[in-house]
Amino acid sequence: MTKFNWLLDGSIVGVYLLATMVAGLMVRRYVGKVEHFLVAGREMDVYLGIASLAATEFGIVTCMYTAQNGYEKGFAGSTPGILMAVPMLVVGLTGFVIKPLRDASVMTIPELFEKNFGPRIRWAAGVVIVLGGLLNMGVFLRTGGQFLVLVSGLDVKYLEIMMTALLIGVAAYTILGGMLSVLVTDYMQFIVMSAGLIVVTILILISVGWANMVTTVETHYGAGGFNPFINPTMGWQYVLFNLMLNTAAVLTWQTTIARVLAAKDTNTGRKVYTRTSFFFVCRFLIPGVWGIAALTTLGPMANTLEAMPRYLSNAVPPGLMGLLIAAMLAADMSTDSSYMLTWGSVIYNDIMAPFRKTVWSEKKGLFWNRSIIAFIGVFLLLYGLWYPLKGDLWTYLGVTGTIYLASMSVLLIACCYWRRANSWGAGAAILISAVIPVTYLVIEQLPSTAGLAKSIGPYYSGIATYVLSGIAMIVGSLLKPNSSGDLREGLA
Amino acid sequence: MAKHWFWWFMTMACVVWYSTITIYVTIKGGADIKHMLARLDVIREREVSEEKEG
Repeated sequence: MTKFNWLLDGSIVGVYLLATMVAGLMVRRYVGKVEHFLVAGREMDVYLGIASLAATEFGIVTCMYTAQNGYEKGFAGSTPGILMAVPMLVVGLTGFVIKPLRDASVMTIPELFEKNFGPRIRWAAGVVIVLGGLLNMGVFLRTGGQFLVLVSGLDVKYLEIMMTALLIGVAAYTILGGMLSVLVTDYMQFIVMSAGLIVVTILILISVGWANMVTTVETHYGAGGFNPFINPTMGWQYVLFNLMLNTAAVLTWQTTIARVLAAKDTNTGRKVYTRTSFFFVCRFLIPGVWGIAALTTLGPMANTLEAMPRYLSNAVPPGLMGLLIAAMLAADMSTDSSYMLTWGSVIYNDIMAPFRKTVWSEKKGLFWNRSIIAFIGVFLLLYGLWYPLKGDLWTYLGVTGTIYLASMSVLLIACCYWRRANSWGAGAAILISAVIPVTYLVIEQLPSTAGLAKSIGPYYSGIATYVLSGIAMIVGSLLKPNSSGDLREGLA
Repeated sequence: MAKHWFWWFMTMACVVWYSTITIYVTIKGGADIKHMLARLDVIREREVSEEKEG
């Protein structure tokens, strides 16, 4: 039984949805060029950037998995948040990679690759980014719908219809207003999302109590519930893999990098990174606390993913429930709009680059960008919502993420700081970072090799992908004979 | 609290920092949007007048 009140909570959610849609649609009149559509005319300032980055990087899917981490691993489950905040802060303070990237005035990462590695690598990088990104995003809608259905007490048969309507609304303002609509709606969504997250967390801390949560974690996980190095499901390999994964995400995840590219200058982009860095601790720890509260209140459950929403459906009172659902809708809508726009930008800017032999008019460019976002919306509906995903979701997200992040981070660092880096090295790095995770997934699925996969584990496999991808870049680049094309000046 | 001070400190830091930054970003972010749209308006008007002249 949920505490969702249709009149009170439904009104709060309705007002939020209406205000967002109106704001998103209103700014469409400012979009006259492709640059306005994809990077908001590079006019974004620091605080709008912070709101947009924070809102984009926190979706319902994030909340579900980070809460699950808290439920299954205790406080130690929030370690990835710290492991993302530290690289974010360091990159923001030093300008590592993001400075040369923003200074190059490109609209996407593969566009930068063309300068050092040629058009083929640009195209291949675009394909890897879009495949990794879209397959990753493919599970967002269903997971988000599961949360909303569980918390609001809606009949599960309405999940598809509800999420389809939500996606159509998000797609409408993203298609019309591009990055400008994304930024303005992200700002509103950041406020609603943050208010909901903070109020619910304070409510939980007061009602469940810190001492009870600590005792629960001690009882179920011992010292490993507080220290990732001695947690039997984590260990140093978990910490190292997450450090590599999160550093790569900070440097290359298209939705994160889009804020640097939309910033009005390089310093603004760096400030957005520096000042948003601690948000990534909150991003893991706040839902982690919700997960621990679920464990304290409900005890062990078979479906650990559903523990947190089931707990919230009874713990949050009417009125606040409306704020919570509006907050989670805000989190999901900001993520969906930004993801559709940024993956669409790579399709237009890089994958379609070979087809743009002549300069396209702004009108034609805008038409194609809008069409691509509409196609992505249709893909998300078919793949992510109406097609039920089989298998383990974590492995799925890890594999699709690593294929992208390992190769792109190696290519980007080499592109910015190593003059000897060339297309052979880039091609080898892309190949290696695709082969290892996919091979691991295959041997994990085959009954005859499943034992081997289990003994290796996903973290060692992930670490190997990053290390070998780097080695492939070095070896491949050194093997290619020197030519005038390879001696182009580096970017840094 | 004393035994697991690190996670207590991090949790409290999250609540305090996040509350503060939300208020701050709400105020300053609104001003950022206003300035961004004003700048885009100026650019658009300049481009329209250039097109007319051209």
